[in-house]
Amino acid sequence: MTTADIHALVGAYALNAVDDLERAAFDRHVAGCDSCRAELDELREAAGRLADPAWSVPPRRLRVEVLNKVSRTRQLPPVTSPAAEPVRRADRRRWLVAAAAAVLLAGGTGVAVYAVQEQRLGEQRDLATAAEQHEARTRGILASPDLVIRTARMIGGGKVTLAYSYAQDAGVIMLGADAPPPNGEVFQMWTLRGEQATSAGVLAVGQTTAVQIVEGLPDNDAIGITAEPAGGADQPSLPLVSSVQIV
Amino acid sequence: MSERARDHLTAVPDPPPDAAGLLRLVARGDEKAFGRLYDMVAPRVYGLIRRVLRDPAQAEEVAQEVLVEVWRTAARFDAARGSATSWIFTIAHRRAVDRVRAEQAASDRVMKVGAAAVDTPYDEVADEVAGRLERQQVRSCLDELTQLQRQAVTLAYYRGYSYREVADLLETPLPTVKTRMRDGLIRLRDCLGVEVPA
Repeated sequence: MTTADIHALVGAYALNAVDDLERAAFDRHVAGCDSCRAELDELREAAGRLADPAWSVPPRRLRVEVLNKVSRTRQLPPVTSPAAEPVRRADRRRWLVAAAAAVLLAGGTGVAVYAVQEQRLGEQRDLATAAEQHEARTRGILASPDLVIRTARMIGGGKVTLAYSYAQDAGVIMLGADAPPPNGEVFQMWTLRGEQATSAGVLAVGQTTAVQIVEGLPDNDAIGITAEPAGGADQPSLPLVSSVQIV
Repeated sequence: MSERARDHLTAVPDPPPDAAGLLRLVARGDEKAFGRLYDMVAPRVYGLIRRVLRDPAQAEEVAQEVLVEVWRTAARFDAARGSATSWIFTIAHRRAVDRVRAEQAASDRVMKVGAAAVDTPYDEVADEVAGRLERQQVRSCLDELTQLQRQAVTLAYYRGYSYREVADLLETPLPTVKTRMRDGLIRLRDCLGVEVPA
């Protein structure tokens, strides 16, 4: 193959659409050609963006498994440093102790979650079904072509994002506070219509994030967030911690 | 659900991080930074692999390998050659394609019982909203390609076909397919305004 022939593979290479022999030939080719390598980097960067529309929520357990595995996996050193100093024994031991502590910390929560799952398999299946439906509905709303997204800051830090669709006749409230309300109070979400306020959900004590689907949301004038006693209130206490108008 | 489990699911979100910055911390062994990087890229890593492999159980397995690989090789990331996310998605895509090639025949795998999800996590939905415009941009840029360019690029990327297989499938000569993959990506690059710093 001539150099031109090999370079013609740059697109296929960036898409991982070459075989092992071609890949090796192309690797040799770019090793000696800066402009070829620059083109490859750019095309690969463009190809990488094709991952964006493929977005899909991984199962929750993947995170636990990956983090557990990571805490047991040794990392490779950088490839470019010519004379990397070997890790001294004391440093290494300290690092190992830190890693072991991390395993305990990361493992602790995972084990607790797992124990619950083992005990309540049936309940867990119901929860999983509900979660899948919740996720599917959330994604359905967010994928709607007429989606409107509005954001407001929260008193005390953080923000509330409201995404809603008239076509879906529904919306999603995403609450992300920097900290829970003071004095053991909790956040409560409301839909506001004229003089009327309807609870759209109460967060647990200490809970700072929530994703809440609200069916029929576009019929309202606004959503509001308040701080309420644990368990929530029948009517919102003023002032609002945050609010988002529905237009 | 136990109180503890709920706490676990609703961690306080940290300020929006930057993938390259996180990857630098990860290279130094920072597991917390890795957790944040995971939240940022896992939906795309898993989604991409799932799109290529189709089978959710296999996709989960490969996604796990890829994400651990990101941890293992973080120090090898070279910011001069592209973005951190692109580096990660390149690893993910490569592993997915390797799996396709290696197991083209294997089919009947036992489906794992999917049960771990408990709630749609805030971070992922927030990312979904933030990423929505970017994704629309990718889709509309794909629309800018000629039909042959688009088919060549997407069959290779999302289905894991080699350019020979793509040529076969599209009944198009090999050199044409190679060229369309290249000029298709060039057009995509220009439309997306992709730049590499070096």
